[in-house]
Amino acid sequence: MATISNTFIPKNTVIERLNPMTKIFAIFSLGLGTLISPGPRLGLAVIAGLFGAAWLAGILKDFAKIMFGFGIPVTAMLLFIQGCYHPGNVTFIADLGFAKVGLEGVRYALKIISTLLVFLGTFYIMNKTTYPGKLVAALTESGMPPKAGYLVLASLNVVPQMQRRMSVIREAQEARGVETGGGITARIKAYIPLLGPVIMSSLTDAQERGMTLETRGFGIAGVKPTAYVEVCKTRTDRAVNIFLTAFFIAVVSAAVLTKLDFI
Amino acid sequence: MGRIILEVKDFSFKYRQTKQKALKNISFQVEEGNFFCVIGANGSGKSTLCSALAGLIPHYFTGKMSGRVIVDGISAGESTIAELSQKIGFVFQNPFNQLSYTAGTVAEELAYGLGNRGVSRRMMMEKVEFVSKLMRIDHILDKNPLELSGGQVQRVAFGSAFIMEPEILVLDECTTQLDPAGSEEIFDIVKELNKKGVTVIMADHDMERVARCADKILVLEKGRAAALDEPKKIFGDPEIMQHGVGIPDYVEITRALKEKQYTDRDIEIAEGPAIEMVREVLDRCKLN
Repeated sequence: MATISNTFIPKNTVIERLNPMTKIFAIFSLGLGTLISPGPRLGLAVIAGLFGAAWLAGILKDFAKIMFGFGIPVTAMLLFIQGCYHPGNVTFIADLGFAKVGLEGVRYALKIISTLLVFLGTFYIMNKTTYPGKLVAALTESGMPPKAGYLVLASLNVVPQMQRRMSVIREAQEARGVETGGGITARIKAYIPLLGPVIMSSLTDAQERGMTLETRGFGIAGVKPTAYVEVCKTRTDRAVNIFLTAFFIAVVSAAVLTKLDFI
Repeated sequence: MGRIILEVKDFSFKYRQTKQKALKNISFQVEEGNFFCVIGANGSGKSTLCSALAGLIPHYFTGKMSGRVIVDGISAGESTIAELSQKIGFVFQNPFNQLSYTAGTVAEELAYGLGNRGVSRRMMMEKVEFVSKLMRIDHILDKNPLELSGGQVQRVAFGSAFIMEPEILVLDECTTQLDPAGSEEIFDIVKELNKKGVTVIMADHDMERVARCADKILVLEKGRAAALDEPKKIFGDPEIMQHGVGIPDYVEITRALKEKQYTDRDIEIAEGPAIEMVREVLDRCKLN
């Protein structure tokens, strides 16, 4: 049976206990910090730090899978394109015969990759370690409109719900003797006809959901909604927020000073 | 006569996709604290009427509408569903339609509506505890609503409506997933709420229950109001079955006894008096 979210698994780690707003702040301060910093070094250091955070969160294996799974092919592709064909290439470090590899292009590629991986990694850690209800409660408490909060939650839940519906339809098909297992071709043949009904019924569900939510008071004018899920800010949150703010200010200052040729 | 809390005035509705009207010129009033039942064959318009009372018509189900539904002085067509939800608690026919799909646990699901009203977390916790015990779902508060059985979801659905403490409770054939014992248990709670002053409007096929609970019954047939009266009068009418509704077994038994002149008492619609009548007849037969 499907659950409300297929990404969050409670583990009661220090990362999980952080306020969701702290994690969102981490995504932006670390991601933007990496983007602003002049070279790729900071980004690579942040990525190393993220592996540490993933270990603390008890999701190191999954985290490594997603980082390497995404990182290796993208790195190879960008290093080749930017390394060989970056317009700013002046210092050549290798000759491939059909093209020369430029240091500037390699640096530029590493900068893009590290920035992408920092955003991906921080978002992944947040998603894996944050209970969706807590995330929405924190966002709503921070002043986000309830409708936008619902949109966030609904978006997080749409995939597991579609998976659940798919499995119900698949079980119904199997009960009628339709073969849904076997090799990849057999599976594709079995699943493609299910896609239409699953998508259509998900759209109908969305309409019914709207109806249900309103009958349960969603969108009453002039009311600030409250949440059953408790969201609190701990000392750790404050410490992490101070660290992230200091990090971001330091990166911006360093970037400005570099631009002005002070460093 | 008590205060009129709900009024339906010459209400007609035709869904956009259908040729026939689902409801035709329906008019009735419900007094505050009444137990009002709507009966009729499948397709007679019971669910459409319930949807109109909760404001789902015309806000969600669009079509051609005339007439008015007035809930405690507020016109359902002119107010939003969310505003009406402050007065009306609606329990859907399919309990899975009652779920918000935003809650990770049963406790959150129960509290969802309270959150929309801005109720404090402390108050929410108290109410969740009370309602979960009342509905006997306190042992599954930490479970995901999507992992529950149909019967458990139905209890959660009822709980999520009760927790809002509505003035009017609209129940649309809402015990389909419960076993007979569970269904009776829930209706004992509904009756208790009704005794405390909650107005109940219930569409149901269980005629024994309707006969036992209702203060007034509206019989729908193909979208028209075929009859509107007290249970004894509705079920005492020999023509009532022509409108596609069944009659409680007690009525059938006591009517047969009366027709065969075993008793001169009037027909009975409830279990206790009906059994008493049968006993009387049996005792008289023994003496003879």
